Amino acid sequence: MAPRKLKAFILSSLLLILSVGLVAFSAYLLTLDKRVRDLFAGSRWQLPAQVYAAPAELYPGLNLEKEPLRHELARLGYREAAELQGPGTYAAGKAGLQVQTRAFDFWDGPQPSLQLGIQWGEDGNVSQVYDLEAGAPRDIVRLDPMLIGSIYPKQGEDRVLVKLSEVPELMSKGLLAVEDQGFRHHFGVSPKGILRASIANMRAGRVVQGGSTLTQQLVKNFFFGSEQTWQRKINEAFMAVLLEVHYSKDEILEGYLNEVHLGQDGNRAVHGFGLGAHFYFNKPLGELQPHEVALLVGLVKGPSYYNPRRNPKRALERRNLVLDVFREEGLITEPEYEAAVKLPLGLAGGRSGVERYPAFVELVKRQLELQYRKEDLVSEGLRIFTTLEPRAQESLERRISAAMPQLEKNRKMKEDTLEAAGVVTSVDGGEVLALVGGRDTRYAGFNRALDSRRSIGSLAKPFVYLTALMHPDRFNVYSILPDEPITLERAGSKPWSPMNYDRQLHGPQPLVNALAQSYNLPTVYLGLQFGAKAMRDTLVAAGYSGDAAPVPSMFLGAVEISPLEVAQMYGTLAASGYQAALSSIRQVQTLDRKPLSQSQIKLKQTLPEGPVYLLNWSLQAVLTQGTARSAYSVLPGDRAFAGKTGTTDDYRDSWFAGFGADRVAVIWVGRDDNKPTGLSGANGALPIWTQVMKDLNARGLDPVPPPDVEEQLVDPASGLKADEGCPGARSVPYIRGYAPEQFAPCANAAQSAPMQWLRDIFE
Amino acid sequence: MPLRVLLLSLTALVLSACATPPAKRERSWPYPEQPGGKPAPTVPQRPSLPSEPVPGVPSPLPPQVPEMVPQEPIVVTPPPPSAPRSAEAVSGQAVTALVRQARSQRAAGQPQQAQALLERALRIEPRNYFVWSAMAQAYLDQKNYDQAESVATKSNSLARGNVYAELENWKTIRAARAARGDAVGAQLAQDRVAALQAAVSGAAP
Repeated sequence: MAPRKLKAFILSSLLLILSVGLVAFSAYLLTLDKRVRDLFAGSRWQLPAQVYAAPAELYPGLNLEKEPLRHELARLGYREAAELQGPGTYAAGKAGLQVQTRAFDFWDGPQPSLQLGIQWGEDGNVSQVYDLEAGAPRDIVRLDPMLIGSIYPKQGEDRVLVKLSEVPELMSKGLLAVEDQGFRHHFGVSPKGILRASIANMRAGRVVQGGSTLTQQLVKNFFFGSEQTWQRKINEAFMAVLLEVHYSKDEILEGYLNEVHLGQDGNRAVHGFGLGAHFYFNKPLGELQPHEVALLVGLVKGPSYYNPRRNPKRALERRNLVLDVFREEGLITEPEYEAAVKLPLGLAGGRSGVERYPAFVELVKRQLELQYRKEDLVSEGLRIFTTLEPRAQESLERRISAAMPQLEKNRKMKEDTLEAAGVVTSVDGGEVLALVGGRDTRYAGFNRALDSRRSIGSLAKPFVYLTALMHPDRFNVYSILPDEPITLERAGSKPWSPMNYDRQLHGPQPLVNALAQSYNLPTVYLGLQFGAKAMRDTLVAAGYSGDAAPVPSMFLGAVEISPLEVAQMYGTLAASGYQAALSSIRQVQTLDRKPLSQSQIKLKQTLPEGPVYLLNWSLQAVLTQGTARSAYSVLPGDRAFAGKTGTTDDYRDSWFAGFGADRVAVIWVGRDDNKPTGLSGANGALPIWTQVMKDLNARGLDPVPPPDVEEQLVDPASGLKADEGCPGARSVPYIRGYAPEQFAPCANAAQSAPMQWLRDIFE
Repeated sequence: MPLRVLLLSLTALVLSACATPPAKRERSWPYPEQPGGKPAPTVPQRPSLPSEPVPGVPSPLPPQVPEMVPQEPIVVTPPPPSAPRSAEAVSGQAVTALVRQARSQRAAGQPQQAQALLERALRIEPRNYFVWSAMAQAYLDQKNYDQAESVATKSNSLARGNVYAELENWKTIRAARAARGDAVGAQLAQDRVAALQAAVSGAAP
């Protein structure tokens, strides 16, 4: 071929190859481009739902002493100082406390940051909440509520997104100084940086510096968890450049601050400095001190290698190195540096994560799904205000966790075989204040409070007695019940012959005593007077939603109910028959602070007041003289509480459900494999219950009867009307018009006129 | 003759001493909520008793229909001068402040805000019947008639005969029933309101 033609051929082939190559390369770049933009936009625009506990209210008359209030503040991440130093700080004086609250947008409007002086009175209650700036006392102030979860509706991950403007300068500038000094100048990849790193590494003989830019690291974080192959590295480099093409430096920095992997919380990854601040220091980003900022910035290089909880020495060294960089760049002064390096790590909480309440949040999620439409829940930036009372939750968790090993030791059981669940609710509002689904409260496992279906045993008995008390023409609290053997024929199985727990017979019993001592036979007798269906109707009216068949074994609790539903049922009793549907959510707000819908207390009178009053009166006897006697060795004797122990066959379940005027608590203890534990309601669940009620300073029952109940002096032995002539006469409630009219033999007035006349003659 | 009279009287006396109490009336409460999800009829309301029960007057039997027809005119004795007339008289400082704010919100046509404030008040004083009464009104404003009536009924049960609170509650119940189209129920509530109004007007200033 002629040389010119050859040259032309080679040239055109080269051109062709080049064009094809270019086209292929462009296509490749375009796919990368789309991918990185999707990832970036996806992480930026998805705002999680923030889940908050109920805010603490401060007001004159609040029954909370100084130490417990300090504990509340500490839980919220408030820092103690010699004097107020901005929002999120408090100072303890001789008598009172000064607090500077954080500003917060509550569901009914914003509350600015306030400087308050709180004082206590002789009675231990708060006596004054003084606004230091305004120079006047305040009627009522709320503390910012505790953040207990940040849920991505779609992915279920946790984030606390921050805007660049919300990030302290020390943090953003410090990050750049440590990780990417040339950030503002490079185009996504920094050849200078790579060169610098290579030289440093060669000098040191090992890898001491990374050459990747912040942008490259951001891209790498999007693929967090994937293998770092060469192919991937090249892809990431290109994507970094493309990112820089589409987004500004500030946008990329903000994305990085929210994406960077900073740690691991169980099986959940901690991404972003916002969440990192909560995870390590239990406070918002804006309140971090220089040494804390330095720790987080230092973690970026290797969150597990420098894990401050696992490798504190390494973490401290790294932090101080970062502080040194801060000082060199002029971000902190020399004296600040000197002070900071001396400080300990300062991690918040002794546990491996921020305080979360997964069992409670599980209930929140389920109720959200029931009460709201799916399309509303998936929208971004929801704020969910819940009913959780951190103080109550802490008490419930602490008491259950402490009791488990103790009970196992007492019963000589193997470790970790016993399980428990607990619920605390408010009486009149139906709010779930605390929820524990198992002895390990840190991680969401099987939520026994919501999902376990165990026989309630003797917890069912009050509903048998209530059914009877709703027929005052036939039964009152002193009606005598027989304690005799009963045998019931059952179609298709052996006859049923229940026995009392102590296998004994105790003779005829007043109704109140049969309930207080939890005798089985009188209960079955009573139940048979009305039938299992009538008793089941009572259960349903109280809040039972299951479908157990109405059979006589139901009188002794052969019916399976979750602890939460037991709390609902006993809550109806506590509220005098006014059932308030249990709720864990107070309000849900959209991103633009509008209520998604108003959560309302759902109230319904489902049981009549008078008989419920009589039942509650009888349930008090369970604690004063019955199976729960030991409660008053812990609870104050001047407060009346009502409740019921529950023990099932062969001691497989240990229950206690009880209430005062403002709190209902239900505790269950047992084994997941349903084997006997040897624990009765009184020695398993009851001690936990009494400790929790004491911690909460629960109010005792109000002794004023409703209008359709009258009290009458009665002789307990005969159940008849009494007067001063009868020793041991008691004031007993009856449905109005059904109190005994006949006098007891011991009563003075019972002496009939002729007999009295005769006696008068001889005296 | 006089001896026979004496013997007869003596026998009568002795017999009266041995008399058994009158047979008890069958009484039980029908459940307000039928199990199985049927809509709940309202709880049979007992007629408003005087503040002190008249001894010996039996309460009328609850009839088969949910609404009761009172057997006698409703009589309400005027409240004593010391009876609390409004929330301020029974509430602590914090609750009083919240109730006042709630009142302004309600007057400004913001029942949702009022409700939020009253819920806060109820967490502090859960048995404050004036707060429950105001809450019922807030529900009424939001057209939640079922809850307005339930909450007003609860307030009545907590009020323990406070005529001022009962008056507000029965007005709410009347409005709720009327809005639901329950004319009979609304009329019964109106009877209560009238009786309570008369008692309040007759009260010492």
